[in-house]
Amino acid sequence: MALKLVGNFPVQPDRVWCAAPHPHLPLVATASTDRAVRIYSLRDFSLVSTIEGGHKRSVRSISWKPNAKGESVLATGSFDSSTGIWHREERGTHGDGEQSLELNSEEREEDEEWRFAVVLDGHDSEVKSVAWSAGGSFLATCSRDKTVWIWEDMGNENYETIAVLQDHSQDVKMVAWHPEEELLASSSYDDTIRLYKEDTDDWVCCAVLTGHTSTVWSISFENNGHQSRLVSASDDQTARVWHRKPKPEKKEEEEEEEEEPSMQPPSIIKGTADETENWEEQACLPKVHTRTIYSVDWSKKTGLIATAGGDGRIVLYKEVGTENGLPDADSGASKEWKVIAQVPAAHGVYEINSVTWCPKWDKLGTTIDGELLLSTGDDGIVNIFEFSL
Amino acid sequence: MSDIINANPTILNPSDLPTRHSESRKKQSSSAHIADKISRLPNSKSLLYDPFLPSPGEDSAYSSGSGSDQDDYEDETAAEDIDEQEIYDLISTISDPEHPLSLGELAVINLPHIYVTHAPATPQNPHPMSHVLVEITPTINHCSLATVIGLGVRVRLEQALPPRFRIDVRIREGTHQSTDQVNKQLNDKERVAAACENETLMGVLSNMLATCK
Repeated sequence: MALKLVGNFPVQPDRVWCAAPHPHLPLVATASTDRAVRIYSLRDFSLVSTIEGGHKRSVRSISWKPNAKGESVLATGSFDSSTGIWHREERGTHGDGEQSLELNSEEREEDEEWRFAVVLDGHDSEVKSVAWSAGGSFLATCSRDKTVWIWEDMGNENYETIAVLQDHSQDVKMVAWHPEEELLASSSYDDTIRLYKEDTDDWVCCAVLTGHTSTVWSISFENNGHQSRLVSASDDQTARVWHRKPKPEKKEEEEEEEEEPSMQPPSIIKGTADETENWEEQACLPKVHTRTIYSVDWSKKTGLIATAGGDGRIVLYKEVGTENGLPDADSGASKEWKVIAQVPAAHGVYEINSVTWCPKWDKLGTTIDGELLLSTGDDGIVNIFEFSL
Repeated sequence: MSDIINANPTILNPSDLPTRHSESRKKQSSSAHIADKISRLPNSKSLLYDPFLPSPGEDSAYSSGSGSDQDDYEDETAAEDIDEQEIYDLISTISDPEHPLSLGELAVINLPHIYVTHAPATPQNPHPMSHVLVEITPTINHCSLATVIGLGVRVRLEQALPPRFRIDVRIREGTHQSTDQVNKQLNDKERVAAACENETLMGVLSNMLATCK
């Protein structure tokens, strides 16, 4: 089993913070210290567009809006404290024919097609991460100002702030939405992860995940229906898996109102039991990294987890049955995580800022079997790996 | 910054500071080598004088080397290992933000508190990394400028050292009342990167670094 380098995108002049694959086109967007967003083709790994001029400082984070009809919509979070929303019309529908038409070489110069549509102001300092919810109706942003904001897309390029969550005591490093539910997670310099849900009319923090002993840089949900899990990566050089405890064992968590142990009348004020999230640490991934882990991504397709960080190493983990097939005496878990591949010095001597799984496409723009792993580094390079058995 | 935080610091005589410049000539070539390297680092210059000046052309010359360029660069730097004295020479000449004195003269930077390690190159690890840890000693234990000084040291080293170096800057244990807090900030890559885009802060830093040889 090996993680094999299959290519890279044309080099950028400065640090690349992260990469994000388009929800349905063979495109990847990257965010860079040079304030530009670059869009690359996943069919031939070439540069398609460079979007500049929107932000006054580093672009730290990017997210494609899912379910955008007839256009591509990109959100960018910048150290200039603002979040940008960019639009680009997609000619025709999503058929493969139109895609190849769209990316014809003579049209590649049309960078101007990307329109800086909206600036979302509100954060007091650097925006560290932006993320669209699975349905595309909400955009979450977080900042060094310790807050997480949720914006609702009201249509016609109108965005309304529907929540300003101030639960973290420090820098918020990353926000990530559950792949199906409207459940938001944030990770912070205060060493915790927090989960948020809409409760009646307000978004509230519904769980705090503690265990890391330093900054939690990155989080990623598993895509496995209601049996939800989350993986986190930290400056403490560990990556941990957290899971939602099954309902029957509900709550002893979160203050809220003191619940009478017996016969509480069905509350019309809150759907209490259902709104409560009860999460706990399930596993710590085998320790390989020797510096800060900056990024973790849980493949929605294969269930593999990838991490990368300051030691320049990419590590892949797989969940397998325990050796004797019996549940672990301590945790009761019948599965455990194993390292199945790693690449030391994946960006030479440089640090790696992110790893991201993305679909594989052929030259004609059709998705094909397999999955690619993109890594972005301080060297301005985006490397493309493929895992093979 | 009108109130001087430590009005009466202990000062070392410059002639007592450890240096390679006057004592020994045998390593002069390596100092020259470093100086040459610094001047070849486009990032350092643009950052030092104008953090907002985009210099994509220069930068790409520096970072384009995923292939052969970078390998050449590595071979060259591996030839002569950078040691504690060279690190000391790079950062002891940084000026204190509130005194017209260097961090070496104020004993904020001390040679015994610099630790350099080099990983060997092996077939499995063709890109060995080097590590430098600098422990700084603030002049007084509540010095609110400790973060700025630490950032100055980190920026100076990031600019001057080859990219294989991992840099840790810490406040020396027991010398400051909020050591952990300052350490966490100084070693948070994202915060450092954002600070380097802050014009005001970079103005202060470029004054501090202007005295570096």
